[in-house]
Amino acid sequence: MSATTTAVRRRRAATAGFHVSAGALALLWLLPIALVLVTSLRSFDDIAAHGLGSLPHSFTLDNFRQAWVDGGQQRALINSLLVTVPCVLATLALAAMAAFALSRYDLPLRRSLLLLMLGGNLLPPQILLIPVSKLSEMIGVYDTLPALIGVQIGFGVGFYVFVLHGFMRAIPAEIQQAAVVDGAGPWQVFWRIILPLTRPALAALSALSFTWIFNDLLWAITVLRSDTKMPITAALIGLQGQYVSMWNVIAAGSVIAAAPTVAVFLRFQRHFVAGLNLGAVK
Amino acid sequence: MTYPQPSRRQLLAGLGAAGTAALLSGCVTSTSSAKSSSSGAVTLQSNLSAPQAKAAMQDIVAAYGKRKSGDVSLNTVAAETFRTQLPTYLTSANPPDVYTWYPGSVADAYAKKDLLLDLGELWDGPELKGYSKALNSLCTASSGKKVFVPTTYYWWGMFYRKSHFAKWGVSEPKTWDEFLDLCEKLKSKGVAPIGLGAGGNTAWVASAWFDYLDIRINGAEYHRELLAGKHRFDDPQVRRVFDRWREVLPYFDPNGTAGAFQDATTALLNGRSGMMLIGTFFADAAPKDALDDIDFFRFPVIDPKVPLAEEAPTDGYFASARTGRRDGVLDLLGYLATAEAQEIYIKGSSGTVLPCHPDAEDAGTPLVTKGRKHIEEAVEITQFFNRDSSDALQPTADTALTKFLAKPKEIDSILTDWQREAEKIWKA
Repeated sequence: MSATTTAVRRRRAATAGFHVSAGALALLWLLPIALVLVTSLRSFDDIAAHGLGSLPHSFTLDNFRQAWVDGGQQRALINSLLVTVPCVLATLALAAMAAFALSRYDLPLRRSLLLLMLGGNLLPPQILLIPVSKLSEMIGVYDTLPALIGVQIGFGVGFYVFVLHGFMRAIPAEIQQAAVVDGAGPWQVFWRIILPLTRPALAALSALSFTWIFNDLLWAITVLRSDTKMPITAALIGLQGQYVSMWNVIAAGSVIAAAPTVAVFLRFQRHFVAGLNLGAVK
Repeated sequence: MTYPQPSRRQLLAGLGAAGTAALLSGCVTSTSSAKSSSSGAVTLQSNLSAPQAKAAMQDIVAAYGKRKSGDVSLNTVAAETFRTQLPTYLTSANPPDVYTWYPGSVADAYAKKDLLLDLGELWDGPELKGYSKALNSLCTASSGKKVFVPTTYYWWGMFYRKSHFAKWGVSEPKTWDEFLDLCEKLKSKGVAPIGLGAGGNTAWVASAWFDYLDIRINGAEYHRELLAGKHRFDDPQVRRVFDRWREVLPYFDPNGTAGAFQDATTALLNGRSGMMLIGTFFADAAPKDALDDIDFFRFPVIDPKVPLAEEAPTDGYFASARTGRRDGVLDLLGYLATAEAQEIYIKGSSGTVLPCHPDAEDAGTPLVTKGRKHIEEAVEITQFFNRDSSDALQPTADTALTKFLAKPKEIDSILTDWQREAEKIWKA
C-alpha cells in the first residue's frame, strides 16, 4: 500500500518537475519575442527616456504605420513575395525532378553529381558575392527581381536535391516496378507514384525554403540596388538610421516581416513535423 | 530492370531549352538596361534611410523637380548596406549617378581610382565660390581635382543636461584641470562623470576621445599625418595621448563599453552619467521634451600653444565618373550646393546639422547657434577617425581602444599591435 503511494507520488513529482522546467524553458524561449512585441507598441520618446529594457510607459500602434508606410514595407513585402513564391515552386520542382532521376535511375556519375551538390552547399556564400554581382551585371539582369530569383534557385536547388534524393531512395523499388509493369512511363512514375509519396518531405522543404528565401538579405543587397525592388529584410535594416535606430519602429517592422513566415509555418506545421519524423525513422 | 532511354534525352533537351530561354531573356534585358544609362532621370543613391532624413531628401527632390531643369530619381538604401556596397556601385558598368558620402580622404581614395566625376566646373561657378577655404581643400582630391559637393556638417562636443548641471552645482570647464575637477565633483555625488557608449556595434564612439586628445596634444596636422600612415601608432607622441587619457579613465562610466551609444544617451538623460563626448546626431536619440535642456561645451584645451581644432564631419555628394548624364548630374549637384536646398534639408531633418553654404540659415535653436560659433572659432577642422583615414582603419582603432579601456596598463603592447594592424591596411 505505502509502496504504491510513494511510487505514485514520485511519478507525480516527476511529471510536475517536467512540466515546470519545460514551461520555464518555453517562457525563456518566448521572452525575446515578447520583448519585440512590447517594444513595437511603445513610443520612441518612452524608449529614449527610460531605455529599451524598462517597463513600458506608453502604448501606440503608430509604429506599425510608420514601418508600413514611411519605411516602405508594403512595397518590400510585395517584392519579397514576388521573389519567394516563384523561387520555392521552381526550386522544389527542379529539385524533385533531379532527385527522382538521381535516386530512381542508374545514371552515370550520379554519386559525383550528388557530392558536387553537397560540396556547393558547404561553400560559404560570401566568397561568391562579387562574382555573382559582376556576372548578373554582365548578363544584364543586375538590379532586377529575376536576378534575385535566379540566384536563390541556383543556390537552393543543390540542398533540396540532396534531401529529396535521400527521401526518394527509401521508397521501395517494388512500387515503381509494379507501375512499370502496368505500363507507366518515367513521367507517369514520377508524377503519379513518387511525387505523392514524397509529399511530406516536399511540404517540410517548402516551409524551410520559404523561410530561407524570405529571410535572406545577403543575396538581395548583392544583386539589387533600387529601394523599390528591395525585399522586406533590406527594408527592415533600412529602418535603422545612420547613427540612431528607432527601436520601436524596427520592432514593429520585424513583426510585420515575421508574419508571413509564421503563417507558412503554422499552415505547414503538421507536414513539417511529419516530414522530420519520417526522415528520422528512416 | 531496364529503363527507357528517351527519358534522359528528354531531360537533357528540356534543360537545354530552359538554358537557351534564360540566355535569351538575359540578352533582352541587357540591351534595355544599357539604353537607360544615358537618358532618363539622374539617379541619386542615398544612405539617409532613417524615416525623417529620408523624408527630408524627398523634399529636396520635389523642390528640384519644380525647377524643371531636370529629373532626379531618389534611391534610398539602408546606411549599412550602402557602406558595404558603395565600391560595387561605383565600379559597376551602369552605376548610379550621384551618391551621398564623405569628403576628404574617403572621397580621395575613390578619386585615386578615377571613379569620381571632376566637379571643377561647379566649384568655379557662383554657388560654390563662397564656400570656406577649409571646405574647398576638403573637397579637392590629391590630384588637384574637385570631386565633392559639401552640403551639411555637424559638430562634436561634451554634451550634458543643463538642469542636471544646475542640480549638481557644477559649470562648464575651460581647461583640462577644471575638467578634472568637474569629474571629481560629479564622482563624489555618485554620478558616473563621463558616459561613453562604445559597446554594442558602436565601438567607434571611443575614437572621438582618441581624435580629440590627439588634436589637443599633438595638433590636427600631426593627427591627419598619423592617420595617413606618415607616423607610427607606437610613437612617443601617441603614447602621450594615452597618458592623458589615463588621467580621466577613472571617471569613465564603468558600463561605457557595455552598451551602444543610444543606451549611453539614455543614461546621460536620466542623470546616471554626467556628460558625453558625442556628435550632434545623438540628439535624435533623445525624447523631444529633453532637447531644449541639452547643452555642450568644448573639449577642454590641454596645450594652449596647439592651434584650436574641432571635429566637424562634413556630409555631401559625389558623382560617378562613368555617368552618362554629366549635364544632369552637374545641374543637380549645383542645386544641392545652394542655400535653398540645404535649408530644405535642415528643415525636414532633425535640424541639428549646419549648412555648408555661407548664406544658408541653420535651424536657429540656441544649441545650433552655439554650435556654429563653436566651429567658426576653430582654426583647424578634422572629420572623424574613419573619415580622415578609411573605413578599413577604423576596426583597428576599435580593437585597440576597447582593449585600452579594459586594460590601460597594457598600452605599450596595444600600440605595437595597433601599428602592426594599421600597416597591413596602409600597405594594402
